[in-house]
Amino acid sequence: MNVRRHASIGFAVITGAVLVSACGSTSTVTAPPTSAASSASSTPTAAAVQTGNPAGPQTLSEAGSSLLYPYLQKLAPGINAAFPNITLTPAAGGSGTGQSEALSGTIDLGGSDAYLSAAQVTANAGALNIPIAVSAQAVNYNLPGITNLKLSGSVIAQIYSGTIKVWNDPAIVALNTGVTLPATPIVPVRRSDSSGDTFIFTSFLSATNTSWASGPAFGTTVPWPTVTSELTAAGNPAMVDTCHSTPGCIAYIGVSVEGAALVDGLGEAELQNASGSYVQPGSSTITAAVTAGASKVPASLAASLIYETGAQAYPIVNFEYLIINPSKITSSDTALAVRTFIEWAISSTGGATADNLSAVGFVPLPTNVIPLVNTAVAQITG
Amino acid sequence: MILVRRRAGGHPTGPARVARTRTHELTTGDRVLQWVSGVAATIPLAGLLFITVILVIWAVPALVYSGFTVFTSDKFFIGNFYNPNFSSVNGIVAPFGANYGALTFIIGTMATSLIALLLAVPISVGGVLMLSEWIPRQLEGPLSTFLELLAGIPSVVFGFWGLTVFGPFLGAHVFPALSHLGVVLPFFKGSWAFNGQGLLTASLVLTLMIIPIIASTTRQLVKRVPVLASEGALALGMTKYEVVRVVTIPYVRTGIIASALLGWGRALGETIAVLLIIGMANNPPVNIYGTTSTLASTIADELDSALSDGTGMALRAMAMLGLILLVMSLITNLTGRLVVRRISSEALPVGRGV
Amino acid sequence: MESRAPRLRHIRGIVFWILCGLALLLIITPALAIVISVLVKAAPALKWSLLTNSTQNVQNPGLQNAILGTLVLSLGVVVVAGPIGILGGIYLAEFAPKRLGGTLRFFSEVLAGVPSIVIGLVAYTALVVALHWGFSVLSAIIALSLLTLPYIVKTTEVSFAQVPRTLREAAIALGLSRITTIRKVLLPPALPGIISGMVIALAISTGETAPLLYTASFSNTNPTAGLFHNPIGYLTYVTYYYVQLPGAQNQALASAAAGVTILLVLLLIFGGRAITARQRKMVARLDV
Repeated sequence: MNVRRHASIGFAVITGAVLVSACGSTSTVTAPPTSAASSASSTPTAAAVQTGNPAGPQTLSEAGSSLLYPYLQKLAPGINAAFPNITLTPAAGGSGTGQSEALSGTIDLGGSDAYLSAAQVTANAGALNIPIAVSAQAVNYNLPGITNLKLSGSVIAQIYSGTIKVWNDPAIVALNTGVTLPATPIVPVRRSDSSGDTFIFTSFLSATNTSWASGPAFGTTVPWPTVTSELTAAGNPAMVDTCHSTPGCIAYIGVSVEGAALVDGLGEAELQNASGSYVQPGSSTITAAVTAGASKVPASLAASLIYETGAQAYPIVNFEYLIINPSKITSSDTALAVRTFIEWAISSTGGATADNLSAVGFVPLPTNVIPLVNTAVAQITG
Repeated sequence: MILVRRRAGGHPTGPARVARTRTHELTTGDRVLQWVSGVAATIPLAGLLFITVILVIWAVPALVYSGFTVFTSDKFFIGNFYNPNFSSVNGIVAPFGANYGALTFIIGTMATSLIALLLAVPISVGGVLMLSEWIPRQLEGPLSTFLELLAGIPSVVFGFWGLTVFGPFLGAHVFPALSHLGVVLPFFKGSWAFNGQGLLTASLVLTLMIIPIIASTTRQLVKRVPVLASEGALALGMTKYEVVRVVTIPYVRTGIIASALLGWGRALGETIAVLLIIGMANNPPVNIYGTTSTLASTIADELDSALSDGTGMALRAMAMLGLILLVMSLITNLTGRLVVRRISSEALPVGRGV
Repeated sequence: MESRAPRLRHIRGIVFWILCGLALLLIITPALAIVISVLVKAAPALKWSLLTNSTQNVQNPGLQNAILGTLVLSLGVVVVAGPIGILGGIYLAEFAPKRLGGTLRFFSEVLAGVPSIVIGLVAYTALVVALHWGFSVLSAIIALSLLTLPYIVKTTEVSFAQVPRTLREAAIALGLSRITTIRKVLLPPALPGIISGMVIALAISTGETAPLLYTASFSNTNPTAGLFHNPIGYLTYVTYYYVQLPGAQNQALASAAAGVTILLVLLLIFGGRAITARQRKMVARLDV
């Protein structure tokens, strides 16, 4: 009928117009760094990477890891003071969100405790994961009066599998001679969002418990075994809150939020490391772990620092990454702002001051990793 | 010149609408308006087709990958992205360990909405009857404002209240009492989260959300019960209760059923309130207080991490869940609207309880 | 025997009405409880900085970006869904042949039953991802418009249908063209109904979160110009996000956003109903 024909043509015209007007700006990945002239060595130093205050105001949007978030909140005023045209707007939301939004170009920087998977790198050519600090994760519990509880990764894996259900289970008692543990049921708390904390926690469980490694394994989300009393929380602060309100709980919490956890009365477990000693997260134990693993870091910067050997090495240590997809950065000013921010953030006179790092429990990047970071940063061009 | 058409018997056709004007009687301006407004009138249909087509196209790979296990398996996991191996089924490549069984969410969706429906209908009808039969005229206006209040509260606020106030209240005071029922009904036995998150809390909040839909229709229909019938019954010596039972309820019954179906449709699609309250666990609830998940809340929760999947299958699994939800909602909605159409178009509630 | 039966009936009646009274209480109490608890929790955040600061401000977060964002999205719905819905309603009321009109009307009502998250999911996959619009104002507006279009079409059609026959027949007698009839004779009495339909659409879109989560995403700064690659903040997201963060300040901000949202939605609903009541009076006067 007349009207129907007109209607369908009209609809097609409208749709076509809308589709055609869609944006989709494209840019190509430009060639690797060209500036190495001023340095005798072949790997670029920090001075060789072009940084500086951009010509116009640049806002760098960041979202992702709730473990990295407090550190970025500390860095935000500093970068703006050093380079007035650069403003950093950090947000939380979980490492999974940070990864996917950075890869799709929705945000400039994705905060993630987990490096990109091989599949993600293949699907997004040129995507970078650039570490800016080293952090760690604690295992906290809510048992008033019990301090310095010793746990091993294997036992924790059994707790999160539902095999160990009460605190005075023989396996836990065996690790803690002389401590009277109550018969309280264990309430494990896990992250509900796609989380880098889950990634490093499950990496630790996989490294210490073979049935966990062949079962849930590790990732930003894993198929958690069904434990009837298990609770979920979104983000590190919510993990603290939930554990604080639940007697008998056990939770994995990033060191940047550990201060709040301890103030809330949660205990911090001593974890058994690869050398057999029981350690708690602290700058010396974290540094011991990263020193042991620093030489293995590849050019792609995707490296795990979990369960390193060393008498004092803390077993759950990780690089804090910023995920960047250079092909989605369209202006050279934005690229300049990104490069400047990262170089400033890793420099000990810029963002990585002792004050900033110790406030969140992080330690600086090992020195041999810095040239690799510079090479990666130099690939960010607009 | 416009003529009024006449039927064979000489009577003009049609009610308020001037029917079937022949096209050569329209001016150019008329034709333009007819054409433009005709296009506009097809946009809802076009939008519906667009939605269905997009969902089907995106969902097919996930459906091929899962086969019938979509409906039979409660294992839903978007896969381990860090395992270098991939899982290949029926020619579709997905991350290692990926499973797209939707049974958990189908159970969660049906359970929450059915419980909400079973509770909302008697509460709405009872409340409306009370309002119309016993509450004096002067109070009726202000009290019915509460109904409108309930209708106007956005779903995120219901979720907020459920998470911070209602859930903890239920967990501390109501569930302990209910668990005594566990002797007779095993599903009521067991433990619950301290903040009340779980199936029952979510169902109760959903009840509150669909009450306005059912209550507003019932109220309009109750007002239209023929006075002659109800007062005649009273004159015959029936008690008020018997009048309601014998006269009012049969009159409004179809309308209640229709609006109940619409309310059910809303409960099926409710996302944000359920997301905050139900605990988001990827397994069916262990007891009536247990945490679980629904189709709508899972889509909202996992869509952003679905993009992390380099193979793109996670996004397709989300589209598959969306397709299942769409089909469920359409069936209930269509049934409700077809039944309502037979009664009167004025009694048609505006779907979202507004 | 006869004396017992009336008492039993009487008792049955009392039991029934007690249950009904209970039901009414179960409707009223939560409604009150929700509003009161929102207001109580929002109290610490109720200062002027709520309107002048944005959520980005760490010490004193406010709702400016969220409120402006909600207003921008509402404007978008009016601009996009309004004309389409009104024209569509006019077509169904004035031009459509019976069967075609019935079909179009039917599918419009089917669209009304599509869950909002499904609309958001489709907008995300088709517009944000496939068309590379990114999180954008336009994709959010399109999602909201699809959601609210059926209500605007329906109320427009009903408003036109309710205009008294006498007016139409007078227009015919005067030999007016269709377009003039619609513009000058039918539209004025139908207008209040149309406006109330728009108001309902706005109330729905103000209270929605799910379709906006993955189309508008969120922005901590005030809305900027640009339809594509431009996330925008909105009130319901503030409640959704901050209620999950521990800490009194976050909870207060979530409650404040909830309170403002409820206020806006209720203003729209009651405003809409007031307009409809006025329309009924007007139409009654016109019906000679």
